[in-house]
Amino acid sequence: MKIHSLVLIAATCALAAPPQQFKLNLDSIASKASNAVDLSLTGPTLKFAAKFLDASDPDEAGIKKLIDGLDGIYVKHFEFKRKNMWTQADLEPIRNQLRGPDWQRIVGVSSEDGETGEIYLRVQDGKNTGVAILEAEEDEVTVINIVGTINLDQLAELGGHFDIPKLKMPKDKTGK
Amino acid sequence: MDDLEQQLRRAFQPEEPPADLTERILERTRSRRVAPRWMAAAASVLIAVSAGYGYRWHQGQTAKRELLMAFRITSTKLNHIQMQVVR
Repeated sequence: MKIHSLVLIAATCALAAPPQQFKLNLDSIASKASNAVDLSLTGPTLKFAAKFLDASDPDEAGIKKLIDGLDGIYVKHFEFKRKNMWTQADLEPIRNQLRGPDWQRIVGVSSEDGETGEIYLRVQDGKNTGVAILEAEEDEVTVINIVGTINLDQLAELGGHFDIPKLKMPKDKTGK
Repeated sequence: MDDLEQQLRRAFQPEEPPADLTERILERTRSRRVAPRWMAAAASVLIAVSAGYGYRWHQGQTAKRELLMAFRITSTKLNHIQMQVVR
């Protein structure tokens, strides 16, 4: 009976655990946004959606191949009617989580007009197990978490879809 | 006129129904019920299966739309960061 209870508690904890690799806590700016996109695609949802992708469409066929090793994609994207309705401090709670030992920042850029872009890799046992992307413009903020085994070549391949030029990424420490 | 009156009287004269009328009607109703029962059941199953398939298809299309949107946003943002790096 006790074992059953423990199994039940463990299962409940597993269900309650957030599927993302970090909390996408952007409530402070969500209320100010005029347009918001919040996508939470868990592993089963990705697999289910993959069944409906058209193999004859090059974009969709490419995506089908890409999501094979993924356990989730989480996107939060906010657009604002006016500029400067958010501050970099709003993104600090997310950056703080990405300063943990598992995360490596591989790209970090900022421009004079306040635009910033950051790409982080989660490396566990020498393997890339996730990607975090933070991109912020004067009137837009986007945070993305791709969960699963994805190497930089695959990440670069994302840029080859939807008529967007292909991205050439630097090699990471694991040589992938 | 009398002739017409007589004809009408004959026409409207109450007539006793045959003794087996009730039984015949019930028998017909019983024999007709057999087909509609299985047909109704089959139709119900067909509707349920179609509705289930339709719902699953709708869910799949929604998931696909969300997946494509997630990739589109990711691609756009990666490209934007790359352009910033190049600049």
